[in-house]
Amino acid sequence: MGRKKKKASKPWCWYCNREFDDEKILIQHQKAKHFKCHICHKKLYTGPGLSIHCMQVHKEAIDKVPNSLPNRSNIEIEIYGMEGIPPEDVKEHEKQKTGGGKGSDSDEDEPAAKKKATPALLGAGPSTVTPGILPTPMGPVPPGMYPGHAMQMNHMMPPYMQAPRMMMPGMRPLFPAASVPTSTPSKPTFPAYSNATISAPPTTSTAASTSEPKENGEVKLPAANSCPLVTATGAGSKIIHPPEDVSLEEIRARNAKYRPKPKPDAPVNIPTSAPSMISASTSQAEVAAHMSAAVAAARQQAAMRRPVMQQMVGMLPQLQQLPQLQQLPQLQQLPQLPQPMRVGVPVSMPPVMLPVMPQFNIMRPLQPGMLVPGGMMPMGMFPGGVHGLQVMQPRYR
Amino acid sequence: MTVTRVAESRTEFKLKSLPEDAISSVKFAPKSNQFLLVSSWDCSVRLYDVTANIERHKYNHELPVLDVCFRDAVHSYSGGLDQTLKMYDLNASSETVLGEHKAAIRCVEFANEVNAVLTGSWDGTVKMWDSRVPNCVGTYNQGNERVYTMSIVGEKFVVGTSGRKIFVWDVRNMGHVNQRRESSLKYQTRCIRVFPNKQGYVLSSIEGRVAVEYLDSNPEVQKKKYAFKCHRIKDGGLEKIYPVNAISFHSVYNTFATGGSDGYVNIWDGFNKKRLCQFHRYNTAVSSLSFSHDGSALAIACSQLDETQAEDPKPEDIIYIRYVTDQETKPK
Repeated sequence: MGRKKKKASKPWCWYCNREFDDEKILIQHQKAKHFKCHICHKKLYTGPGLSIHCMQVHKEAIDKVPNSLPNRSNIEIEIYGMEGIPPEDVKEHEKQKTGGGKGSDSDEDEPAAKKKATPALLGAGPSTVTPGILPTPMGPVPPGMYPGHAMQMNHMMPPYMQAPRMMMPGMRPLFPAASVPTSTPSKPTFPAYSNATISAPPTTSTAASTSEPKENGEVKLPAANSCPLVTATGAGSKIIHPPEDVSLEEIRARNAKYRPKPKPDAPVNIPTSAPSMISASTSQAEVAAHMSAAVAAARQQAAMRRPVMQQMVGMLPQLQQLPQLQQLPQLQQLPQLPQPMRVGVPVSMPPVMLPVMPQFNIMRPLQPGMLVPGGMMPMGMFPGGVHGLQVMQPRYR
Repeated sequence: MTVTRVAESRTEFKLKSLPEDAISSVKFAPKSNQFLLVSSWDCSVRLYDVTANIERHKYNHELPVLDVCFRDAVHSYSGGLDQTLKMYDLNASSETVLGEHKAAIRCVEFANEVNAVLTGSWDGTVKMWDSRVPNCVGTYNQGNERVYTMSIVGEKFVVGTSGRKIFVWDVRNMGHVNQRRESSLKYQTRCIRVFPNKQGYVLSSIEGRVAVEYLDSNPEVQKKKYAFKCHRIKDGGLEKIYPVNAISFHSVYNTFATGGSDGYVNIWDGFNKKRLCQFHRYNTAVSSLSFSHDGSALAIACSQLDETQAEDPKPEDIIYIRYVTDQETKPK
């Protein structure tokens, strides 16, 4: 206990080694030179403070303290004025200034009791830079012991705070020196951080848990009536998702370009002479011929079709997107078939299965009169122009 | 100025020779942060050396690949729309077809605990495979619902399906389902990841919401579960709510990153209910995320998934590697 014998060096900036007459000026210097945000020019109080500010406000990572010496650029060390400087650096600086180990020797035995120095004593000995001294617990010291400090520091200061140095009564608040991030039990209550706290914290249990039972009750609805649509939210919000309640991958997988490619062994060299639509003027004979061609081709392919294709049946609505839809074999290459016949749409199935699916309109027995007026064709199932020619298509799916 | 801009800084960079179509999945190697597997809708699986930023290997499926995983440093498994599970030996550059599902394979995970591969498919089943030879060990029905997401840590194996169902299995005993649950979220399940400490899992939905749930069915523990909103953007009077496509856990801190179709990546501390940070907005939806084994790097796959069905112009498919700091990932 007692005042420091030696006049320690002037306050100096750890980041750039510059000396100052007054710690107030040092702090101003640090805020302006080292703790200023390069984006919004806000002056922060410490390196970590600056780093958190940039991360949270600007989403930028800062890895070095601006304008610092290469070996003093650590952004994670919390330094405010002379507070928080690593003890070995204090010692080194002292050595350089005084040119002797004497200072450190005499200071090693500096007890925690130093903190009990009365304000009067501290005032009398303004510079108490103590090289080598480690952070000393301050717990037992009643805050009132330091008039001038107690006001600002009060309870925010964790007990392990470093022993105050350079203490002039009423000189300045010490506050940010307190937060070593890893060990701070306190929430970010520092005024310096208040503008940089998480702006959108997770809605926590209060909101979620109260609403959950209700949600659980409601959810059954879509499942019960197996409504395949994403339930709409309120008027003020919109879910950025396709209306169907299936996964984005499933929706994307329907895209024609992700379908299996034609089998290499399938006949590819089929001329494409057929008309794309059967117009009203198409003669019945022609229509019938197309039909027979289609069925024959389908039969040919059914033999080589992979079972995999069956799953594609459910995806028929995509059929019309296929460019190959209009391809047809020339009829003279194909054997004649008796009429009337049944034309199966999901040709991926073997022809024998065709008659068992009468619910498909176009699988009805083909009657010559049926095709002639275009309007008579059942359009509901396949919006892309339904006619017998489509039976060809599964080959290309 | 010693301040570095995020976009081109050493903390974050783009991978080179990227897939030509949307990226379905990225996975870091189990014991190194050097190698990254990437599966894509361009039918390829690629292995990147992240440190050197080069593509090391590439092999193809017949159709788009939806998921990929490592067995060890030199073996990968992959599956996709061609319904086929492939094993690839990265040393020998040889591939083996292990088997097939009846529909597309959506998820592929490796179960260290039993040295087996698990595949989840839109055919409503999970299959377990011998990790070396084409041998399906078992087929496990998931309530006839299409498998959308799976996660395994140790023996805890959680499957999320269509119809908002969740199945909790123990891979050491696949004879029965441990728990059948309904998602606590109201909307379609998008992603599930089990906590590295196996206490629970995190679940995300298409409606910008994430739930933290616990596996222990004790009511006291269940009380701790909660959900929160995220990945939403206020646009004038309208709030746009985006699907949360990806979750990845930091294996050391038990914190996790979420990626949404809004193009943001957030890092959360699930136990303390805090957001630790948000990165800058990426060029398009975040489709997949993967922390490296030590949590020092995060792979961020950015691909549009046709959320809006507005086609052109299609944003670039990009993979970013971001070296994260403790400040971004460690509970405060």
